[in-house]
Amino acid sequence: MKFKKTALAQGFIRCHDCGCLSKQADKNSHCPLCGGRLHPRRPNSFQRTAALLLSAFCLYIPANIFPIMTVTRLGVGEPHTIIGGIMALIHGNMVPIAMLVLVASILVPLLKLLGISLLLLNVHYRWQAHAKKWTILYRIIAFVGRWSMLDIFMISILVSLVDMGGVAQVIAGPAATAFAAVVVLTMLAAKNFDPRLIWDNQR
Amino acid sequence: MNTNPHNMTQSIFTACPECDLLLNPAEPVVGDKAHCPRCGYLLQRPRKQSIERTFALSVAGLILMFPANLMPLVGIKMLGGAKDGTLWSGVVALFDEHLWGVAVLVFLSSILFPLLNIILSLLISAHLYFNQPNRHLANWMRWLQHMDEWAMLEVYMLGIIVACVKLSATSELKFGFGLYAFVALLIVTGMLASSLDKVLFWRQIGQLRK
Repeated sequence: MKFKKTALAQGFIRCHDCGCLSKQADKNSHCPLCGGRLHPRRPNSFQRTAALLLSAFCLYIPANIFPIMTVTRLGVGEPHTIIGGIMALIHGNMVPIAMLVLVASILVPLLKLLGISLLLLNVHYRWQAHAKKWTILYRIIAFVGRWSMLDIFMISILVSLVDMGGVAQVIAGPAATAFAAVVVLTMLAAKNFDPRLIWDNQR
Repeated sequence: MNTNPHNMTQSIFTACPECDLLLNPAEPVVGDKAHCPRCGYLLQRPRKQSIERTFALSVAGLILMFPANLMPLVGIKMLGGAKDGTLWSGVVALFDEHLWGVAVLVFLSSILFPLLNIILSLLISAHLYFNQPNRHLANWMRWLQHMDEWAMLEVYMLGIIVACVKLSATSELKFGFGLYAFVALLIVTGMLASSLDKVLFWRQIGQLRK
C-alpha cells in the first residue's frame, strides 16, 4: 500500500522534532510523542527565508569590499579583503590552500545566496519540473552552509597567534563581522526553508 | 491506537520530512538504509548497539573536551617572540579587538555547542541505557537536534590547517598536545553523530514516557 500524496493532504501532521505522525485535530495542538508544538509546515517558511536571504545579500557587499584582516609587519600595515587574501596565497605559491579558501569563502556563500533565491522562486512560481533535483539542491545548500565559517575561524587563530606588538600583528577588520553575519543568516535561511513547499506545488 | 489528553492520535504511518510523502514505516535492519522512494531522503540508518555506543562515545568525548580546550593547540615562534594558541585565546583576541559579535559566534560554535552536544548525548543515552524515565528527555533530544549544525569542530580544524599553512612561510610552528586531543575529539564527535540513531532514540523516549 503506497500513497502518492502528501501526508498533509491525508490529514496527517509530522512533528518537526521527533518525526511522529499524528492525525490533524485542531490548531495549536501538541505532538503525542514528544509534546512539541505541531505545525503542518515550518511556520511562515517563505517569508522568513526571504527576509533572512535579503539581509544576507545586503551584508554580502560590505563583507567583500572592506578588509577582513590587516597584517602588520614591522609597523607597515597591509589590509586584505577576502579576495586579496586569496591572491596573497596564490602569489605565495600556496595554490591548493588558495582554492580551499576560494571555495569556502567565495563560492559557497554565492552558491547559497543564489541557490536559496532559486528555491524561493521555485516555490513562488510553482515550477513543476525536477522537484527531486530541487530537493537535492536544498540538501546541498543545507550541508555546505557551515563550511563558510572556515575564514572566520582562521582569522580567530591568526589574530590570537600573531600578536607581537609592532613587529608582527594581525588585526581583524570590519568585513569579518559582516561575513560572519552572512554565514549565520544564510544558515538560518536554509533552516527556515521548508522543502515540502516544493512538493506541495506538484500536480 | 489509544486516545490521549491532547486529543491527538499517533498514526501507524510515517511521512518523509523533506517531501511529506505518506509512507509505511520502514524497518531497516542494521547495515541497511531506508530512503524515501520519492525524494531520496535518508529516513533511517540503524546502527549496531546505537544506545551503548552513543553512551560510550559521549563519555570519551567529554573527557577529551578538557585537554582539547585547556591545552595549547598550536605554538608559534616568530622574530624572537613566542606564543601559544588555545581555543579560548582565539575568542579573547577577537573580543579585545572589539569584534564581540564574531567572538561570540566563534565561542558558541567551537566551544559551547560542541560541549553541550556531548553533554546532551551523554544525558540522553545514559537515561535510555539505564531505562530511567525523565520528563526532560524530549526537550534534551530537541535541543540536541537544533544544536547539531552549529557545533563546527571540523570546520575549525580546517581553519587551523589553513592558518598554519599561511604562517609556515614566515614563522616556526609547534603543535601542542591540545591539537592531538582536538583531533581525537573530532573523530569521537564524528563517530558520535553517526552512531546516534534518531529514529530509535525518539522511539525509546516515547516508550519511556508511557
